[in-house]
Amino acid sequence: MALEAINGVSRYHSKLDDLGEEMVIPEIGNLKNQYQLCTPDLPKSECQIGEFLIDETGRKIKLNYAHGTTTLGFKFNGGVVMAVDSRATSGQYIGSGNVKKIIEINPYLLGTMAGGAADCTYWERVLAKQCRIYELRNRERISVAAASKLLANMVYQYKGYGLSMGVMIAGWDKKGPGLYYVDNNGNRMPGNVFSVGSGSIYAYGVLDSGYRSDMSDTEAQELGRRAIYHATHRDAYSGGVVRVYHIKEDGWTKITEEDSKDLHYKYAEEKTKRSQ
Amino acid sequence: MNTGKSHTMYPSTSGTSVVGLVYDGGVMLAADSLGSYGSLARFRDVKRLFKVTDKAALACSGDIADYQFIREVIEQKVRDDVCGGYTRELNAGALHCWLTRVLYNRRSRFDPLWLECVVAGYKDDEPFLGYVDKIGTAFEAKEVATGFGLHFAVPMIREAREKKQNLSCDEARKLLTECLKVLYYRDCRAHFKYQLADITPEGVTIHDDLNLKKETNWEVANYISGYE
Amino acid sequence: MALEMMMSGPDYMRDPRKHQFSPYANNGGTSVAIAGDDFVMIASDTRLSRGFNIFSREQDKVFPLTPKTMMASSGCWADVLTLNKVLQARLTMYSHEHHDMMSTTAVAQLLSTMLYWRRFFPYYVSNILAGIDEEGKGVVYHYDPVGHMEKLTFSATGESVSQIQPLLDNQIGGLNMLGVKPPTMTKDLARQLIHDAFVSAAERDINTGDGIIIHTITKDGKTEETVKLRRD
Repeated sequence: MALEAINGVSRYHSKLDDLGEEMVIPEIGNLKNQYQLCTPDLPKSECQIGEFLIDETGRKIKLNYAHGTTTLGFKFNGGVVMAVDSRATSGQYIGSGNVKKIIEINPYLLGTMAGGAADCTYWERVLAKQCRIYELRNRERISVAAASKLLANMVYQYKGYGLSMGVMIAGWDKKGPGLYYVDNNGNRMPGNVFSVGSGSIYAYGVLDSGYRSDMSDTEAQELGRRAIYHATHRDAYSGGVVRVYHIKEDGWTKITEEDSKDLHYKYAEEKTKRSQ
Repeated sequence: MNTGKSHTMYPSTSGTSVVGLVYDGGVMLAADSLGSYGSLARFRDVKRLFKVTDKAALACSGDIADYQFIREVIEQKVRDDVCGGYTRELNAGALHCWLTRVLYNRRSRFDPLWLECVVAGYKDDEPFLGYVDKIGTAFEAKEVATGFGLHFAVPMIREAREKKQNLSCDEARKLLTECLKVLYYRDCRAHFKYQLADITPEGVTIHDDLNLKKETNWEVANYISGYE
Repeated sequence: MALEMMMSGPDYMRDPRKHQFSPYANNGGTSVAIAGDDFVMIASDTRLSRGFNIFSREQDKVFPLTPKTMMASSGCWADVLTLNKVLQARLTMYSHEHHDMMSTTAVAQLLSTMLYWRRFFPYYVSNILAGIDEEGKGVVYHYDPVGHMEKLTFSATGESVSQIQPLLDNQIGGLNMLGVKPPTMTKDLARQLIHDAFVSAAERDINTGDGIIIHTITKDGKTEETVKLRRD
């Protein structure tokens, strides 16, 4: 070390330095900052899962993650009803038949799960944290509008990277029942009736034909249940257990969790009784 | 994203198979000395096997330039370790682990070092033979080979071991030479000149400039017909 | 990067002049875990392969994490090694900071978060985590490659999942059978089921075979047992 070094002349170049970044423990950025995810040194469009999933011999590498769903939620005079199925599929394989697709964010807020299961659980977990922080800062509960907007803003940051989620955020706040739809494109919209997922078309059919704003609580819960049941019946990617939740002024309650198989026989019996 | 940086997405001058095996009392490692440029036998005396420390030797197949780079880095690392005086001598297990990390991290950057490495030597007085490839796949085994060696040499060594569990030094060397011979017959990118490393608890011995040519017999070529 | 489907088949059939870089490889492997009231068993086969090559016939794919948890991973072996290394480093840092080991539930969540960190460049890994929870009961967590997790009492993952999971659903879950009560899980039953599941998988799946290593975790510690499978 002498004058030359002080003047920034480096006569000695160690090849070890060329591998400097390769020799540290890789960080896990999202442990410190949940919004930060690892983005590979590639164009955005190539970050979609499946884009580089091919091995050297050209065989496709199957990267299967949970997908396929029917979820629904609607507002009526008695609050918000949410109903979901519980099947997670990876390609043709049923990865699980007992997924909890309604995520309990806090006693007054529920989120549903459609699309990538990991995407929904991760971001709604981050949302739950943010909602709690809001409560602590402001001494009052977060509104459904604000909560859904937090989520929409989070996923919007990663627009184009290939996140896959279509969720409903529902709850009860100062304005009464709230229901919002948020998806990976950054869309966020309020509404009275939503259904999301591969089985949503079947659910909408039942839902729209039976929906009235002046339904009783049991009527509303049964409508949601029936809509999901019909979706599980016709959509191969939906099935398992039908879960129904109801949100009122004092928060959400879990109404039922019934196997779609049992529902099938129940409805079939009712049908024969009616025709007699 | 065009960063103006070019990454090794394919090898240019490359070396073919490396074969290694653990025998009773040591580890042996062999690689031929051909640097191919596509189908051109471009360099016929490229060394791609070297002594790292008294406890480790490394041989690589794949891109020769990447091998020479990693060799320089490792030699620098060994020198730093010696000069620093605060670390134990780099043993084969440590080198293997280090290489896995470096190669994996480079692949994650989409800038791979196009190599398949075989690390031979000792780790805590136990013989060690390990494999690492350009994406960071790593494992230890009693017999390891890269490239065509995986198809030809590994089954030969496994078969020899089924017959006799523990190989002596001479048997191991004979077997290894036999493997290289078969590879020379069948692998168009193989060569008769080769290097062989023998690692025992006493240290690493590298035999340079070995030659298979006299042992090969091309008489059998006459029996191959039907391709005219 | 142009990634059109290239010629498939064994690697020696490939045009040697055409090389294509792919950061992933499929190295096979299957794992099973079964939990009981006071124990959990986790097992994996011992074959490590790539394409038609068998790299190793004795590669344990179950990694110890804490004295009460173990993780079985298979898929891209490079990713398996890295994930395990990073997780192990995190656990060491935790134990230095807290003078205590991380609980199984915490390890389970940490693993999920770590997998999600690489959401846009995933670890191509199928994971099962098995451990003893705070109440001393056996638990199994099952993961998808990007970190969705599910808590279960039994699970299979990896190459032969579609052969083994239905067997376990039937034998342990007693699913969709009228008047059948699921059995109470004992160590003997778990061991027998794991053994039979792998024997059947080795019969029908080229990427599963050679052997199995069965690890058992109880509150008193860990034991392991090796069973041989078909080597063809």
